[in-house]
Amino acid sequence: MRTEDLIAELTDGLRPVRRLAPPGRRAALWLCFAALAVGSPVALFGLRPDLASRLALPHEAMQLAASLATGVLAAVAAFHLALPDRSPRWALLPLPTLALWLGSLGWGCMADAARLGPGALVLGTSWGCLRFILGLGVPLMATMLWALRHAGPVRPVPVVLLGALAAASLCSFGLSLFHRLDAAAMVLAWHGGATALMLLIGWAFGRPALIAASAVR
Amino acid sequence: MATEAEAEGVWEAWMAAAQAGDARAYDALLRAALPLLRAVARRRIHDEHEAEDAVQDALLTIHRLRHTYDPSRPVRPWLAAICERRCIDRLRRRGRHQGRETPIDAFGETLAAPAKAGGHEASEARLTAAELRAAIAELPESQRTALYLAKLEDLPLAEASARSGLSVGALKVATHRAVRALRRRLGGVTEDGG
Repeated sequence: MRTEDLIAELTDGLRPVRRLAPPGRRAALWLCFAALAVGSPVALFGLRPDLASRLALPHEAMQLAASLATGVLAAVAAFHLALPDRSPRWALLPLPTLALWLGSLGWGCMADAARLGPGALVLGTSWGCLRFILGLGVPLMATMLWALRHAGPVRPVPVVLLGALAAASLCSFGLSLFHRLDAAAMVLAWHGGATALMLLIGWAFGRPALIAASAVR
Repeated sequence: MATEAEAEGVWEAWMAAAQAGDARAYDALLRAALPLLRAVARRRIHDEHEAEDAVQDALLTIHRLRHTYDPSRPVRPWLAAICERRCIDRLRRRGRHQGRETPIDAFGETLAAPAKAGGHEASEARLTAAELRAAIAELPESQRTALYLAKLEDLPLAEASARSGLSVGALKVATHRAVRALRRRLGGVTEDGG
């Protein structure tokens, strides 16, 4: 087929389309939705009673702030990166806060070990954390991918990974507000592990899902 | 310089009008953008035909994503980025295919030998290839696109659908019809020729 014939075919019977809103506004909308989704269980279970004293510890405050910032920045980056002409450098936006989040957890582990001895680093199980982050995070990620389905033919993998990171870190932030999990090593293992698992799920299933979703309009 | 700047402003206005449904502006934009798209594709892909195929892929994606263009931004980077993406995808797919395939040149001697022994068979094979190419060229546009994406490019249906703008159902129907039309046409040729 000649390219000129293809153009004639595409322009024939052209229908008007509704232009997408600016990515910043769309990201803000999704973040409002995510705040509602993550805020509901927090409101249901109530804030953990010792939250104020936990926040007095610098690494705990840092950990909470960094997880929230990672979620917000990853979402903003995903909405920008989903557009063809935006710089791929948007993908770097959440990395500093992600490093800060992991760093504060590492710092917390060392502080626990110094205070309580090596026993503070022994891991227990906290399936609840994993269930909460995946149970809420996967649907939350799916809503973002639906909103970003136009990224399917453009940059599916970074968009999916940023979506997974945004959903997982916001869920981790919400969980930390009501769930008592004191040992930093446990938070690192279970919240960090759940986030890594979300990235893996996004990588394995997100790209085909995004491409399939982009076919539906 | 002034003309170029003006021309860029015109492209943005055409794209904005195309989003509002102005087919003539859209046609003008796509035709004006062809040299840019071809330049992008040729920079990435050396084979002329393959580069042109990438340009066609890019046009289909531009059409599909036309609602994502923001008229307050220059349209050239938007068009070029989509074309770059389609070229990268095409090169990756070709890389994957090449990993599974063996170049037919390696069997040059093997293929040439029976041609000497039975020249009739070889010329028939050549005739069929030429006929197939001609038959594909004569298919209706939607069938050719469907056949091209779903069979020749070996894309999953969902991806072929995303690229072509056709629904999965329409793709299946078009592919089926294309294959049937080719079988009918080529079947007839063999009977006539042999």
